[in-house]
Amino acid sequence: MTAIAREATYRFEVFTAIGSLLVRVFLLRTVWTALYAHNAAPAHLPLHAIITYSTVALLMGLVLDIDQTRLLHDKLHDGSIATDFMKPINVPLYFFSDGTGEVLFHATLIVPSLLLALFLVHLDVPDPAALAVFFVSFGLGYLVGLCINFILNCTAFWTLEISAVQLIVTWVTDLLGGQLVPLVFFPAALESVLMFLPFAAMFSTPLLIYVGRIPPAGWAGALAIQFAWFVILAGISMVMWRAGARRVVVQGG
Amino acid sequence: MRARVMAQVYRQYWRVNVLTTLEYRANFLLWFGFTFVYHGTAIAALAVVLTQFPSMDGWTFRAMAFLYAMWMMSHALHNTFFSAVGDIPDHVREGEFDRFLIRPLDPLFQAITTPGQIFPDELILALATFVAATIYSGVAVTLTFIVFVPLIWIGGALIDLGFNLGISTAAFWFIRVDTLRWIVLQLEQEFTRYPLSIYTRGVRLFLTFVFPFAFMNYLPAAYFLHKTDIGLNVNPAIGLLTPLIGIVFASAAYVFWRFGLDHYQGVGH
Repeated sequence: MTAIAREATYRFEVFTAIGSLLVRVFLLRTVWTALYAHNAAPAHLPLHAIITYSTVALLMGLVLDIDQTRLLHDKLHDGSIATDFMKPINVPLYFFSDGTGEVLFHATLIVPSLLLALFLVHLDVPDPAALAVFFVSFGLGYLVGLCINFILNCTAFWTLEISAVQLIVTWVTDLLGGQLVPLVFFPAALESVLMFLPFAAMFSTPLLIYVGRIPPAGWAGALAIQFAWFVILAGISMVMWRAGARRVVVQGG
Repeated sequence: MRARVMAQVYRQYWRVNVLTTLEYRANFLLWFGFTFVYHGTAIAALAVVLTQFPSMDGWTFRAMAFLYAMWMMSHALHNTFFSAVGDIPDHVREGEFDRFLIRPLDPLFQAITTPGQIFPDELILALATFVAATIYSGVAVTLTFIVFVPLIWIGGALIDLGFNLGISTAAFWFIRVDTLRWIVLQLEQEFTRYPLSIYTRGVRLFLTFVFPFAFMNYLPAAYFLHKTDIGLNVNPAIGLLTPLIGIVFASAAYVFWRFGLDHYQGVGH
């Protein structure tokens, strides 16, 4: 709860986050409208669907762009992680829970952002089944992102400066994960590779379920790929954490 | 005398920057990788969209690559020479700024020459991108182009400087200006990526006359690409006014800076 309180004190940042999101919703509406106005609409993705897709992608970004385990990186930087190992706590769990408040707080920001965005754009709402599967898929996408960030934060056990790498991963995720442009717009050969990468598991898969580009028959397969990525990345996270934690003890001993 | 001292300080400033960069080579490469990926993803996203759609309001990918390169060049020029202006709020918050005030050189000059890890890598990347985009877009390289383009780069960099300085000056009154800076930067980066003509009238006027980002790339690019309808009821040659707008805008920010300096009372360290 303290993490939620900590976040809420930055009232100005909250207005900024919502304001900047609304500006980007305005921008995406303008850009896609201009593109569809002078050209034939691509198959299966009419203007209202692409506007829905891009707006929902921005709202998901409120949560997916958060680095829940950032504290691990910070503590490795200033060395205070050493004392955490002496405390009678489950250390990795401590790092996950510290960021949970931030995630929940940003998740609640989705509601006002969505309501205000509705003044700018019309959003399609899928049928309840698709909506439910979308939320499951969004959750799996979140877990994939969480593991990617945790792995990056764990590299701080060996090398201290990782901000640049994290930013690179963020930009690559936005592009190759289909947040900026739906993957169905990429050249077919590239698309068929990208849809199997973990980046697509974060943004593209939930979004394509939402707008109906992945039909009910494809839901199980899409969720299975996401889940597989979660399992693989969670495994890597665990190995990295064990190796890193041993290193701290060795240095301290 | 004063000018000679300043020239010496400036030379030392670059010496320290280069030495620092050489010392932290791995770090430098990582940040260069970031710069590369940042601009790369922006251009790649445009390329993907414009393979699906032949053009955006009459602008093909080739034209939009030139539009992007024009902005990138001005922005890189600003980042290379004036990015330290953005650190002024940090100096103010930590009380460092008071030290600038008692030294015999101009405080703004001191802020600009606070060594960091600045290397002209983004500038080189931007120049290469600009040359490639100019060839790729088929812009006619006339005498006007050769004379005006460097001036437009500088004018665009001065527009950037105006914002950077204006926001940093606000730090004299508000201690936290990071978010404000972030919003303006985001507006700049995302709105300059597309032709101004796609926006509603209010936004077009705003981006031309209030926050004059349109002068950084859209208006000059539209002029050199011979666009007749630029979305504003003015002569397309307005795009050549960027150097003038840059000087006016940076001067206005400088006046605001002097005003802020007169009212600065420290943060109580």
